[in-house]
Amino acid sequence: MEIRIDDRKKVAFPRFNHYDYAIRYIVEQGLEAGFVLLPPATKETADLGSRYSPDYACAPFKHTLGSLIEAVEAGADILVETGGLCRLDYYGELQKEILRELGYRCEFINLAEYMGGKKKEWLRLAKHINPKLNPAKFVTGVYEGVKMAEYIDEIEAAYFKNAGFEAEEGSYKKVYRQFLLEMQMAENKNEIRAAYQKARQAMSGLAQRIPENPVRIGVVGEYYTVMDEHSNQYLQEKLIRLGASVHRFMNVTNCHFRAKASTMLPKISEYARYSMGPTTTWTINSALDYAKRGFDGIIHVKSFGCTPELDAIPVLQNISRDYHIPVLYLSYDMQDSDTGLDTRLEAFYDMLERKKKVLQ
Amino acid sequence: MKRKAYLGIDIGSISTKGVIIDENNKILAECYLWTEGNPTEATKKVLLSLKEQFDPERYRIVSSGTTGSARKLVGSMIGAKMVKNEITAHAVGTTTLHPDVRTILEIGGQDSKIICVENGVAVDYAMNTLCAAGTGAFLSSQAHRLGVEVEEFGEIALRAAKAAPIAARCTVFAESDLVHKLQVGCPKEEIIAGLCKAVAGNYLNNVAKGKKIVPPVVFQGGVSKNAGVVRMFEEELGMPVLVDENGHLMGAFGIAVLAKESQKEGEFSFDVADMEFRTREVTCGKCANHCEIICVYRDGELIDSWGNRCDNGAIKSR
Repeated sequence: MEIRIDDRKKVAFPRFNHYDYAIRYIVEQGLEAGFVLLPPATKETADLGSRYSPDYACAPFKHTLGSLIEAVEAGADILVETGGLCRLDYYGELQKEILRELGYRCEFINLAEYMGGKKKEWLRLAKHINPKLNPAKFVTGVYEGVKMAEYIDEIEAAYFKNAGFEAEEGSYKKVYRQFLLEMQMAENKNEIRAAYQKARQAMSGLAQRIPENPVRIGVVGEYYTVMDEHSNQYLQEKLIRLGASVHRFMNVTNCHFRAKASTMLPKISEYARYSMGPTTTWTINSALDYAKRGFDGIIHVKSFGCTPELDAIPVLQNISRDYHIPVLYLSYDMQDSDTGLDTRLEAFYDMLERKKKVLQ
Repeated sequence: MKRKAYLGIDIGSISTKGVIIDENNKILAECYLWTEGNPTEATKKVLLSLKEQFDPERYRIVSSGTTGSARKLVGSMIGAKMVKNEITAHAVGTTTLHPDVRTILEIGGQDSKIICVENGVAVDYAMNTLCAAGTGAFLSSQAHRLGVEVEEFGEIALRAAKAAPIAARCTVFAESDLVHKLQVGCPKEEIIAGLCKAVAGNYLNNVAKGKKIVPPVVFQGGVSKNAGVVRMFEEELGMPVLVDENGHLMGAFGIAVLAKESQKEGEFSFDVADMEFRTREVTCGKCANHCEIICVYRDGELIDSWGNRCDNGAIKSR
């Protein structure tokens, strides 16, 4: 009798909104390795992260560290942390040390070391994770995984744009959740595309009841906090429940595959002549775009102490003054309570709605 | 037929305010007292006081609203038709009484905010973010240290020849500044004037940062009763700062106006003041989020609950 043991290594990545599904697809279908898909983050994750983090590290550091610890506990063999254009580039190194000091003996891959490296290096890394790697399958897997991320971004954007106006409560959420479930289960590109088309069709068929004074809000800000729902305390979900249409330009598709800093800089030259670091160009560009398109308000999201986004604030103040558009500034640390956020968002929404009613 | 009246209650961290207005926004009854950490008891006292001033022969209350940090709790307690945040309530209240106002400065017990107004409607606002530096709580803790009543602060500050420089960005640093000034023999009134100046300066540098302050300016919230801070604001801004005699009631007034505007009417009875309200905090154990769910009981019967992040934690009344 043949005993089949799954000897594939199990890879884990820190949680990052719904992109976990796309990363899982790349790992399982492309790399043909195992993947540890973590359940949604809880307060426990945040507590774990804060307990072992330096106090002044930004909130994304704490959230990702919490995720990584939970992943090792869940049986991951290889932890992967990404690099970036700000302090994030150093975070992998630091988290590696912290996990070692905590006594975890799993392998740690810091992608910061590979950023800007040659393709050969990446392939060597992939072969290290899975020695039986099929390079052609790997490349296809990456391509299809990226496609999945783009579909997720598109459906997510449609959800937040329209769900605030839904005629039947929960109808959009139902389609959205079903779509995410199918993204978790998809094993090839046909399944991905079929689920995407189904969700698009279902969403466009839903009835809407557009209020007398519809409020459109643009959300801009720092990469991780603005995209990761758990980090921003479900900001966009709260806004659609108040009845607003919520737009967010910043997502993986627009940040990595579509909009380029070099094409955005000329558009914002009136406000910023050079890039101020990681995602500030995206922040300013989308804020200016929302202002020009006549949005009712902008919400700026960052983690507490995020220096690049802090630099973007004076520029946003200028845009706010020139285009007469209010901006709400939110700074996230590891809060427990939603009360403060709820009060601010409700007040912001009420203000925009009343303003529209009186000034139209 | 009896004329319609509207009730508004503003339950803040430090004080609880209540008003009853008629259809023309005229205040029929008002009450202001300390919350003392017990919003349900404070609300009962406010209701009893309002009941005494209220003429049930001529008016009947057709709608009610609550605002302030305990708005949800008290809202379900009195069955309010309108439960709204204090920023909206203050903006609506002030623009109703002063339609020409352009800037509203507000410093309360634990928060401070600025509201910019154009054509009688709020167009921008900002609120203090992380701590309570430079709010009423800061002033009363410093008053305690100096052995003066916080109510006398304004009067004393106005007597001072000059204001001692004190940093108000952080309460802890302000306190060490203050101790230092006392040790070098600085007169008390100059220190108090310095505190008032620090509150105004801190507000303009933090909360009002990046906001254009255009006259007419209305200053309200508990700290607006402090004449010293008012004068410091006038000096810093170089424009008159108006303090409404009903400034402390503005939140309650605003929410009453909002309840009137909502046109949602429902029976309200002063009997709730005699009922027993109890709240219980339950920690949901269904996932690692451990949401704290607050349950409100009226005479032992569950009437409302909130605090759960997902449906798994929903507690429903039978």
